[in-house]
Amino acid sequence: MKKHAITLTVNGEERDLIVPSNRTLLDALRDDLGYTDTKYGCGTGECGACTVLVDGKTSINGCLTLAATMDGKSITTAAGLARDGNLHPVQQAFIDNDAIQCGFCTPGMVLKAVSILDENPNPTEEEIRHGLEGSICRCTGYTKIVDAVQDASNRLSGVGE
Amino acid sequence: MTSRVMRDFDLLLPESVAQAITLLATHKDKAAVLAGGTDLLVALKFDYDIDNVVSLALVPGLDVLEFDSERGLAIGAKVTIADLLKSSDVKEYYPALWQSAKVFATPQLRNTATVIGNILRASPAGDCSLAIYALGGILTLENATGRREVDLDDFWISYGVTARKDDELTISLQVPAPATGQKSAFRRMTRVTEDLSKLNAAVCLQMDGDECTGARVAMGCVGPTLIRLPKVENMLAGSVVTPELLQEISDTVASEINPIDDIRSSAEYRLKVAGVLVKRVIKLALNEGNDQ
Repeated sequence: MKKHAITLTVNGEERDLIVPSNRTLLDALRDDLGYTDTKYGCGTGECGACTVLVDGKTSINGCLTLAATMDGKSITTAAGLARDGNLHPVQQAFIDNDAIQCGFCTPGMVLKAVSILDENPNPTEEEIRHGLEGSICRCTGYTKIVDAVQDASNRLSGVGE
Repeated sequence: MTSRVMRDFDLLLPESVAQAITLLATHKDKAAVLAGGTDLLVALKFDYDIDNVVSLALVPGLDVLEFDSERGLAIGAKVTIADLLKSSDVKEYYPALWQSAKVFATPQLRNTATVIGNILRASPAGDCSLAIYALGGILTLENATGRREVDLDDFWISYGVTARKDDELTISLQVPAPATGQKSAFRRMTRVTEDLSKLNAAVCLQMDGDECTGARVAMGCVGPTLIRLPKVENMLAGSVVTPELLQEISDTVASEINPIDDIRSSAEYRLKVAGVLVKRVIKLALNEGNDQ
């Protein structure tokens, strides 16, 4: 099987690696580069646990992306959202709203929330729910997650400060 | 059960259409084309075995999404479902296509999956494909000997099988420009939003005042391919769309479809509700139903 030398910028850091043709972006991130905050859920693009952002805003499923087709791309995982030791407002909102139970879906959920708010800083509840499709929580439900996204939207737009 | 470990294959990364076509000419049925990959990669984790995967990632010129009031909408091979949703032209001139893109799969998949990939998949449950089927379209395919155009009406042959030859690259899709008075809509039924459709319907009506002068009516999940409903189209053409006509259409739909029992629904249920769905999608196109 062919191998490919690629460079990924992950969370702002340039990483060179050699991947076989069938390596998914998810496996490259987790197993080759150690970004284990990106989770393996279903492997078929349904659960959203493997969600990462391309160029800081476009959410994709790492499990359905071949690493070798991502040469030169910038990838953000949940661990890359914090700045200077401070959590991203979306992350803080997830904590403050208890929007986490087992945490397995959380990295994907948080990244989806960032992409939702990037596209639409003041989404309605319906828009948040539509935007969160493709990320599945099997613990508890979505109410607190939706609350957290709404809260993050308020924080980012300065409401209540 | 499956390990969901991808099979071995060689990923080929051509940097031009010409290079991609040369690779397809060399490998023919031993190569699959990768654009978004949301179908292909899942297949490679299950039962699909192929020696070469020709990625379009580095091929320029295939991401064109362009509307022209004369020529219509040009959709390149790498245009994603999310790209459609960013286009105000798609929203304004092709409501059926916009509505199908809006509910298509999930945000992550919309960001990756391509419109043309959805057509090439030849699934009887395709959402974007169905909307385009109702609107009409011409595909441009290219191989080492040149280009040819295939009408979407002649493209799907059977489940998963299309008129594309192994050595052909699908370059683009052209959807005709809407004439004044063209109205279109798409609707689907699912259990939860992320499911594949259990039933979907799309219409494109040419209206002259209250009179419908021509119609294309398409349904999915009711046969091995997406199908058109000629009887319903004939009932609409030349008629004023009255509640009585809609009821007659609704009662006729079941005679034009051949659904099966599967994991998402039963044939019995599909036969029962298909007429209602077609009635609703016609009303939606005429702005008498709620947008979704």
